[in-house]
Amino acid sequence: MRGRVYDLRLFMKEEMVNGSINLVTRETGAVIRERLERELIGEADPTVAFLDFSGVGVVDYSCADEVIAKLVSRLLSAEYGDKFIVLEGLSSNQMENIEVALERKKLAVLSLQETVGWQIIGFLNNYLRKTLVSVMERENITLRELAEEGGIGLNTGGTRLLNLYKKRLIWRSEEVSREGGRQFVYKSLTAVRGY
Amino acid sequence: MGLILVPPPTVDEKGFELFLGQFGRRPWVESHRIGIDLGDVTFIDPYGMVGMLEFGYYLKSLGKEVILRVPRTGEVSKYLERMDFFRLHLGLFILDPPRLDFTERYHRSSSSDVLLEITKIEKSDDIHFIVDRVRDRAGSILEAHLHYDERAIHHFIVALSEVCQNILEHSQNIGYVGIQKYFYAKSLAKNVVKIAVMDLGIGIKNSLSPRFSSVFGEKWTDLLAIERALLHGASRYEDIGRGHGLTEVRKFVQEWSGKISIRSGTAKFSLLPSWEKGSRVHSGVTFFPGTQISLILPEMGG
Repeated sequence: MRGRVYDLRLFMKEEMVNGSINLVTRETGAVIRERLERELIGEADPTVAFLDFSGVGVVDYSCADEVIAKLVSRLLSAEYGDKFIVLEGLSSNQMENIEVALERKKLAVLSLQETVGWQIIGFLNNYLRKTLVSVMERENITLRELAEEGGIGLNTGGTRLLNLYKKRLIWRSEEVSREGGRQFVYKSLTAVRGY
Repeated sequence: MGLILVPPPTVDEKGFELFLGQFGRRPWVESHRIGIDLGDVTFIDPYGMVGMLEFGYYLKSLGKEVILRVPRTGEVSKYLERMDFFRLHLGLFILDPPRLDFTERYHRSSSSDVLLEITKIEKSDDIHFIVDRVRDRAGSILEAHLHYDERAIHHFIVALSEVCQNILEHSQNIGYVGIQKYFYAKSLAKNVVKIAVMDLGIGIKNSLSPRFSSVFGEKWTDLLAIERALLHGASRYEDIGRGHGLTEVRKFVQEWSGKISIRSGTAKFSLLPSWEKGSRVHSGVTFFPGTQISLILPEMGG
């Protein structure tokens, strides 16, 4: 897994001629999303892209929907290959508006802040949140480990991990177990950034 | 001169409605020249001003020639100048008197209560300009006089952006916005900001009709269309991410005990705070094309 940081302020400077630092209007959102899509498609699989909002001003609801909600929605349908995204450098105001956009579409994305660590933005039910915490805390976890730790059945644990993976909130790699068999190891997206 | 329309001395939301009512009752179709006599106007706010510009556009689109008699009160004319009304009137009105000179009498002050001069909205870049301008002036008005903190300023700007985007997204026409701070002595004893956003587009009912008219049949009216847009996030697009801008604006305005009014076609719908008296619903008002939105946000605390 590779990590890439996408500086949104820089992308705005390169893609927009008005010099604005604000992510407002659907038209602006579409321009920035298309740039992000080109970048994502150009990356090798698997890659986690950290979208850095530092230096970005206002993010309105329409632009949040056009950039983040649409991007996450297409990420889930594998339009960009085996890619993941994490938002970082968000202010609480920006996060609030992005959350509204994601919740409407029942989507979720990880956010990473240096001061508070990781957070989930958007809609994710409680049992998946709990499983996500287990993965994030351990950075790597197998189905067996999750089941033992959480006192849940293998089927339940497997379904939850698979759901989180399908929602692009964790990634997985197939590795050889101590017993010599093959198994998936589920991993934290933020570990790539060293958090 | 054919028809002459005389607005009331106070041209705010209520005054502009009275003015439209007068227009609706008069036989204007045959008149090639229509006069608007602002001579006795003693107060005009962004809603009245933007409304007059839109009215000028409307008459021009009908092939009318419009003579605008400017207010006799110098303060009102200076305020119109300060809000860029006379810069934007070009091509819409023939002014009476034709020349106005404010250079000796009036200088723009950095401590003005104008948060945003009347600004045309016809493309996405205009909204970026509006957002940048309001962010620049937020400290001197929203923070100093309305005691808005960073979060409130952010929400204010987002609300403004979303309301203005409605013009680009749904009206299929250009629009105008203007913002000014006032002191509401009588009803509130507080500072407020008034935001007026208008367009002459297809209106909310026509914008939503492809998705909703068959659902509601004969009940599909301007009033119902406004209610669906403002209260239920209805959009002409099927994408569930669309149409929520206005509902989020409504939540923000209500959270801050503000007032929101939307007029479109022949109906007007308002959400009133406790400090404002009036009727929520007006149907059967004089037809005026497009959508006219008024937001009034009071200062926080106290």
